[in-house]
Amino acid sequence: MPIKDDTLRLHRRRKIEIVMRAEDRTLIEDLLRAAGVSGWTMIRDVAGMGHHGFHQGRTIFNDESGLVMFVGVGDQAIIADVASGLSRLFERRPGVTFLSDVEVMRSDYFAPSIGTAGDPSF
Amino acid sequence: MNMIAPIERTDDRLARTEVASLVALAARTVAPLWPLESAIAVNPLAGFEELPFAQAVAEASKLFGAHRTLPLALWRRLHENGRIDEAALRDAAIGHLGGIYRAAAPIAPGVTMLDALMACLLVIGRGDRPERKAGLGPDAAFIAKWCGAFFDHGMTAMQLPHRDLGLYRAVLAMAAYDPDYRTLTGARGAALLLSFPRDPLEAISEGLASLAAEVDQLAYLSGLVARLPGWAGHIRWRCEHADPDRVADAPATMADLVALWILLSRADALSEPPAAPSAGEDRAPALLAHFGLTAKALGPRNAQRLDSVARVDDDRLGALFMQAAERSYANGLMPALQRAARTTSPPVRPDVQLVFCIDVRSEPFRRVLEAEGNYETFGYAGFFGLPIALHPFAGPHRARLLPVLLSPRHDISERPVPGRESEAEAIADRARGDACTTDLFAAAKAGPATAFAAAEATGPLAAALMLARTFAPRATGRAAATLRARRQRALAPAGDAHEDHAGFSLADKIGYASALFRLTGLQPDTARLVVLTGHGATAVNNPYAAALDCGACGGHAGGSNARLLAAMLNDEDVRSGLAKEGIALPGSTYFLAAEHNTTTDEVVIFDADRIPPTHAADLAALSASLARAAEANRARRALLLGRAPGDLLTGAVHWGEVRPEWGLAGNAAFVVGPRDLTRTIDLQGRAFLHSYDWRTDMDGSALATILTAPMVVAQWINCQYLFSTIDNQHYGSGDKVTQNVIGGIGVVQGNGGDLKIGLPRQSLFCDDGLPHHIPQRLLTIVHAPFDRVAALVESSDILGRLFGKGWVQLIVIDPETARARRWREDGADCSEGRSLLAIDC
Repeated sequence: MPIKDDTLRLHRRRKIEIVMRAEDRTLIEDLLRAAGVSGWTMIRDVAGMGHHGFHQGRTIFNDESGLVMFVGVGDQAIIADVASGLSRLFERRPGVTFLSDVEVMRSDYFAPSIGTAGDPSF
Repeated sequence: MNMIAPIERTDDRLARTEVASLVALAARTVAPLWPLESAIAVNPLAGFEELPFAQAVAEASKLFGAHRTLPLALWRRLHENGRIDEAALRDAAIGHLGGIYRAAAPIAPGVTMLDALMACLLVIGRGDRPERKAGLGPDAAFIAKWCGAFFDHGMTAMQLPHRDLGLYRAVLAMAAYDPDYRTLTGARGAALLLSFPRDPLEAISEGLASLAAEVDQLAYLSGLVARLPGWAGHIRWRCEHADPDRVADAPATMADLVALWILLSRADALSEPPAAPSAGEDRAPALLAHFGLTAKALGPRNAQRLDSVARVDDDRLGALFMQAAERSYANGLMPALQRAARTTSPPVRPDVQLVFCIDVRSEPFRRVLEAEGNYETFGYAGFFGLPIALHPFAGPHRARLLPVLLSPRHDISERPVPGRESEAEAIADRARGDACTTDLFAAAKAGPATAFAAAEATGPLAAALMLARTFAPRATGRAAATLRARRQRALAPAGDAHEDHAGFSLADKIGYASALFRLTGLQPDTARLVVLTGHGATAVNNPYAAALDCGACGGHAGGSNARLLAAMLNDEDVRSGLAKEGIALPGSTYFLAAEHNTTTDEVVIFDADRIPPTHAADLAALSASLARAAEANRARRALLLGRAPGDLLTGAVHWGEVRPEWGLAGNAAFVVGPRDLTRTIDLQGRAFLHSYDWRTDMDGSALATILTAPMVVAQWINCQYLFSTIDNQHYGSGDKVTQNVIGGIGVVQGNGGDLKIGLPRQSLFCDDGLPHHIPQRLLTIVHAPFDRVAALVESSDILGRLFGKGWVQLIVIDPETARARRWREDGADCSEGRSLLAIDC
């Protein structure tokens, strides 16, 4: 039986997903740290079709080949900061990003904006 | 009243994240620099690999102030010595002139444009380059000095205070007390120390806001990073590759380093950036004189032709020599490989199979060993496919025994061999005691109250040791070897779970074991003995000792990886799992691990006392063959080193030896194919050999792995040797004799300055100044169907870049027809309408 939303306390956050070359992984990590994002998910060996054809996902002996995807969640201001820094990276490096609204159950897991008052939960 | 430095406030100051992105991009200007204990070859121009090779070399030259090629005089000497084929040089010259018709265009009766260009290449001008002032400007020296103090790895008696604050803040805290800072920056610098942001990203943001609008911010930051490529490279290693516990005491990011440069910039204390060196003079008068011509006698068209040749500078001429060196090598090798590809030899079941590392030093040893008996050899990445970090028994830090392209996936403990626990404990006790003694001595030597007493007390002992090392190096070497052998007997890497380390699951073991067969083409019908042979080197008093070890094992010897995989392959459960994957090994096969010492050519067999009695005779015969092969290979190498063969054993243990071996100097090719392709060819220790059987890799996945990992490592090695040779001052590390180790992490020339990023002169040049290593780009040769290789390269960013931009040259030999095709570089003629072009071989 599905759980109704009103039985849960959910918190609205922003999510950013970034797909870049694995060799550019540290660029994204530096950016996320600078924005104050303390945790993120990284998915290796991402495959897919892009402007330059199909990108193979499978690698064995090289963590720096292929594509990776980062997933970060935080307050709107922080994710906007990440996107702002990302725009600089995309001037020089290939990649795509997706921004979306999400709801999370444990808000303390995700980066708050410095000085944010209150919790935009509903 | 204190004056506060004026700060330009602007509304368009960049956000911290924007600055972080720019700094992260600028950091790519330099390559990571590993510490000496695990020195890894990297391409110093790795950050330029998006560009075509020639353009990358030119851009880097401007940024680092480095030369683009060897001096013309050295290229000429290589040509005179027969190491560059004149026909290949002529071909390169014709290509430069735009083809044979233009090359044959006359400048004067009997003198063609090609004649003029060949004269420029071989005769006109001295071809040397003026000595440039070495050393750093006062601004770079200031930052380098503080980097040395901040990153010190336990070598100094008193550590820099405030290291926990990070490099930038620690230096800000100390700069006010530094007379060099006062001299550099004056009153403005003192005021800035009070007002400048304490956050490095904000400091950089403020610095960027003060620049003129037309300044390219990324280029500006890249220029700052490039001013100290050694320390910047060290920071990249700390941030991207070091285990966190190794660097936690001194946190530093590239933003820290850049912020220090911005501080000096705001204080108007930045010196001029390095400039690209000049590339030679106008050769027109010398050309006219050489051919007995006068300018007046030439018509306008011929004068223009002469002028176009005379304007070819030394850099371009050097590039033509390099192209000729590459063609000379390929032209010599390809016909032999194609002949071998047309030949089929009947299968013979070997007595022993040995799997060596792909390292260029394995090839000549494999050849002499194969001549000793019925042995079959294979090439495989020297970490044997195991992405591990090894925690040494009673040792402080784990060692990453894998290529730097990978992160460790298994933490492995070194543990006592069953039955040898007390011996292992005794070894550990001794190691702990030695460490305590070393620490005590270092503290006493550095202490202001104990320094003289320590020298008095230990002087006689040190003198005795020095005399022993000088006059009886083989004896001290034997003592060290005995200790090493004892340790190898009593301790072994253990792949099962232990304490915090998960070890390997059965599925992991089966996966790593089957990879050996999939990637090398080793057939399940194995010989009675299969020996997995890692490699290491022996060098004493040599900061670059790790650079002689196995690159695939992160600058460590490969014996531990070999022992682990051999143990997996002898495991009954693993064998059952392999059989289910179609790799059913004979019950009579036993796997052994070994380690080839590339300095002495001795091969140590591990765990020989555990070999079944049924295989003892096989091992005895192999050991005898290995000893004879070692002798033969030492004799071959001694000729190259200009020594007696016995001297090689002495050099390995002599503390005054500056060239214990040639290492990977001479590396030129990466051959992917079966041993039958190369068995009859003397590759002279210049080729990485990765075994591969196209027939057992129908989906191309094994080839993809080989080209995107081992070949990338080989390319890094090749580029390190190439650039260290063409400009040893900027891309190498200069003369070993004047080097000093700093902070336990790298070397500097003299008593300070930037960390040197490449190889020492003695690893590349002969004593007469002639390069032993010919700077040429890697030639990768793949024995596989054209379509398979083309599809793979076109689907891979890394391969498309390396082959398309000319960093690596690719030739494919079709296994069915033995015809060869060369990969077309981006922008080259594509009249054939395909990426793989026909070549004449």
